[in-house]
Amino acid sequence: MATNTRIILICSGKGGVGKTTLTANLGIALAREGTKTVVLDADFGLRNLDLLLGLENRIIYTAQEVLEETCRLDQALVKHKQEPNLALLPAGNPRMLDWLKPDDMQRIVKMLENDFEYVLIDCPAGVEEGFKNAVSATKEAIVVTNPEVSAVRDADRVIGLLNTNGVKPVQLVLNRVRPKMIANQEMLSVEDVTDILALPLLGLVLEDEEVIVSTNRGEPLTLSNVNSPASICYSNIAKRLKGEDIPLIDPAKSGSSLKNKFMRLMQTKIF
Amino acid sequence: MAEEITETQFISLPPSRKADWTKAIKAKIYPLKPGPVLIDSADWQLGYREIKRLKSILENSGLRLICLNSDLPETLVSASALGIQTHLNITNTINSSMQNTPKTINERNSQKIFFQKGTLRSGETLEVQGDVLLLGDVNPGAHISASGHVMVWGRLRGVAHAGKEGNKQATITALQLRPLQLRISEVIARGPEEKPEEGLAEEASLEKGIIVIKPASIRAFADE
Repeated sequence: MATNTRIILICSGKGGVGKTTLTANLGIALAREGTKTVVLDADFGLRNLDLLLGLENRIIYTAQEVLEETCRLDQALVKHKQEPNLALLPAGNPRMLDWLKPDDMQRIVKMLENDFEYVLIDCPAGVEEGFKNAVSATKEAIVVTNPEVSAVRDADRVIGLLNTNGVKPVQLVLNRVRPKMIANQEMLSVEDVTDILALPLLGLVLEDEEVIVSTNRGEPLTLSNVNSPASICYSNIAKRLKGEDIPLIDPAKSGSSLKNKFMRLMQTKIF
Repeated sequence: MAEEITETQFISLPPSRKADWTKAIKAKIYPLKPGPVLIDSADWQLGYREIKRLKSILENSGLRLICLNSDLPETLVSASALGIQTHLNITNTINSSMQNTPKTINERNSQKIFFQKGTLRSGETLEVQGDVLLLGDVNPGAHISASGHVMVWGRLRGVAHAGKEGNKQATITALQLRPLQLRISEVIARGPEEKPEEGLAEEASLEKGIIVIKPASIRAFADE
């Protein structure tokens, strides 16, 4: 059982492109599919995965206490209130950064492997210690990027580092896609990005104001607003991750007409 | 979990290619079952068209070419362009290059050609003593340099430096030359603003102290 656990690092290099949002939403979407999932906040310096999931006030112990062996793993895991299949292992206090080693990350992930089918690791921005610790513990990775040159450049750097660390497979999620801006050639197109990064595209996520609303409320979009454009994208990514064959949306066609929006709703409402 | 494994079949081609090589292949593949196949083409020098032809011959018999082994980098370069996985038979290459040295590209400067597969991503650098042939792209933010020629079988979008120890004859060649910056010897130039034509390999060289870009010629690789 433990060997089949998928350990997936969600990283980007650049900050603010949507790693944590993707982790939270993917976690919920996978849990909803009935998969036992744990999200691990590896961003010890600036933790906020707990915030996004609305679990901040339920944290008692963190990864720090687990590593210090002052509590058991199951005491530190925070079960999600609405999706019992999802658990969060919160990051400890930022001073952990001083002593945390790749071995420690590997130890945590080993423990989680036994009880879960999916371990999603929310990676910190940058390519320094925090990133290296997280990479050492993962098997596969999802690289999140935005259609901007700086985000693509950083993603490229990260992909190179993942490759040299033997992380495989590495898949790409293109976040905050604005079909209108792409059509007007004001934004990098999907092809522009995949052309440089040369990675299999796991999914696109459309720009959606609802993401901000849901983040502030501490309810991931996939939980509260299932039919918003971004939410559909997140659920599709979760399904593709599980091996379902779901076609990618075409940004040239999506979001423009009411009919298409309606069609998307029809397609995703499968019970 | 038991996975179904289709066994990969292996064909080894006879040394040296004859004029009518398709017959030799057809005779070899006749007894094979449909499925994946690995071919060792020994010292056959195959171009892009010939490998395409080889692929279609195989496909007609239900065979899928998954990997091509060869003694010659030239054949591998052509195969890679078709998206075929390749493997260089290293021991053979060393032997053959020892036996007939005049064949190697740079025998006059007795420089080695360094062969690297894979894309250079942002922040990565490849520094080579001698000539370098990269099968893959050089992405923006990556850096490739050599004391001799720089050849990129792919898109060059980063920084390239040829003749970094002062060789003014060094050239930079790429299938798509769209660099951020080019350097030959001590001369530095910014990459061209306009996008080059697709499918046209280009070569940068020093002419009267200025870096110029021209369509690539095979002659460029032969010794000056």
